[in-house]
Amino acid sequence: MQNLKFFRYLAYSIEILVFFVLSSTPSLFPEIFGATPCFLVALSITIAVFENEVPAMIFGVACGALTDLGFSNSIGLFTISLTIICFLLGFCANNIIAANFYNVMLSAVFIIAAILSLQFVFAFVIHGYDNAGTYYINHYISRIVQTILCTAVFYFVNKFIYETLGD
Amino acid sequence: MNDFFKSNSVRIFLSTVFIIIVLSVFTNSIEANFLSSTVNSITYPLSKVTAAATSEKDMSYSELLTEYEKLKDENAQLRTQLVNYYDTLTENTRLWKFYNLKKAHPEYSIVPSVVLRRDTNDEFYSFTLDKGTTSDIAVSDPVVSQNGLIGWVSEVDLNTCKVVTILSPQTNVGAVDNKSNDTGIVTGSALYCDDNLTTFTKLSASHKIKAGDIITSTGVSGLYPKGLIIGEVTDVCYDTYNSTYYAVVKPYDDITTITDLAIITNYTGQGEVLLNSTTENQ
Repeated sequence: MQNLKFFRYLAYSIEILVFFVLSSTPSLFPEIFGATPCFLVALSITIAVFENEVPAMIFGVACGALTDLGFSNSIGLFTISLTIICFLLGFCANNIIAANFYNVMLSAVFIIAAILSLQFVFAFVIHGYDNAGTYYINHYISRIVQTILCTAVFYFVNKFIYETLGD
Repeated sequence: MNDFFKSNSVRIFLSTVFIIIVLSVFTNSIEANFLSSTVNSITYPLSKVTAAATSEKDMSYSELLTEYEKLKDENAQLRTQLVNYYDTLTENTRLWKFYNLKKAHPEYSIVPSVVLRRDTNDEFYSFTLDKGTTSDIAVSDPVVSQNGLIGWVSEVDLNTCKVVTILSPQTNVGAVDNKSNDTGIVTGSALYCDDNLTTFTKLSASHKIKAGDIITSTGVSGLYPKGLIIGEVTDVCYDTYNSTYYAVVKPYDDITTITDLAIITNYTGQGEVLLNSTTENQ
């Protein structure tokens, strides 16, 4: 069982690393309505619902730190928010709600919209840039929708990993 | 529920959040920290491979077919030549783009570089280049293409550096219209950045700027070399909010997709602020 758990965590880690590199590769994914999805946010949510709260939190830290450190040299919004959210998701999925597709997607809609909107606040509103609202409509809504769609795909991928290499 | 709040999980969670907040403060206060250097060093080889694999993207099937036929012919001719010929040729082609720039400005120290990553979370098309402090890159170094200014280095670590483009409002370049001699500040705008456009702001009410004029840097702050081409004026508008005129400037390169660039690490007048002249900052 311990071996299976190790291979499951290894599979998650490889998945995270590969999508981190692919998402940052220039011109690999086409921009739809001026944005590409945040793969790591979707990945951390779908991993968290299948794991206990501590492993869920650790993968949340990894996804958040990679998102933050990959581009800004500093730990910030994504690391802190994904740490808290993945811990709570891991706890809820084990004790309060069932980790089925509909519950995961419903949670993902609120979580992704909240995190990316918060990022918009830090990136635009606080700096006082002009035309921030236009940018939110033209880019962020597309990014939120795409990330939610990715969550649906990652849900089935990680469910497969969990069922194949589950306890 | 009470048991849960007293459990080890919650203690681990609270400790992790505390550590992350401390690290967040630490990483925000230090320019090049070991965390980001470690992440970049681990992912550097994989990013290099994927970046190279996508460098010739956006070609149609017929274009690819033509390219394939051309390369097949070339391959037959080149088969007898040295094994490392292709590498040398590619590097030479890339460097050739910057030859004219170097020829025109022999005082520039130029480091050719390629885009390693594009920041999907950044709204103004910033990107990461494959050169860092090991290549003498420093924060604020100008980044150029063979056609002009592209941006400036905002963060640097051992092997990579982050570049903020002239499409970003974070960028402020003192600039001059070469034809009318009107001066102002080139800065990005959320309204125009998606169309690969930037703005030439703080123009006087009596300006004589017209569409087609070429905008260059003034170099007065010592942050950018003097005379670096920024772009061409496409339109002159009036900002009713600020009651000032600004010009819309189109850079000569598509900054949203550009891959081959050079970083100017040293030039005459670097870091020397010219007093009693137009303001330039970044």
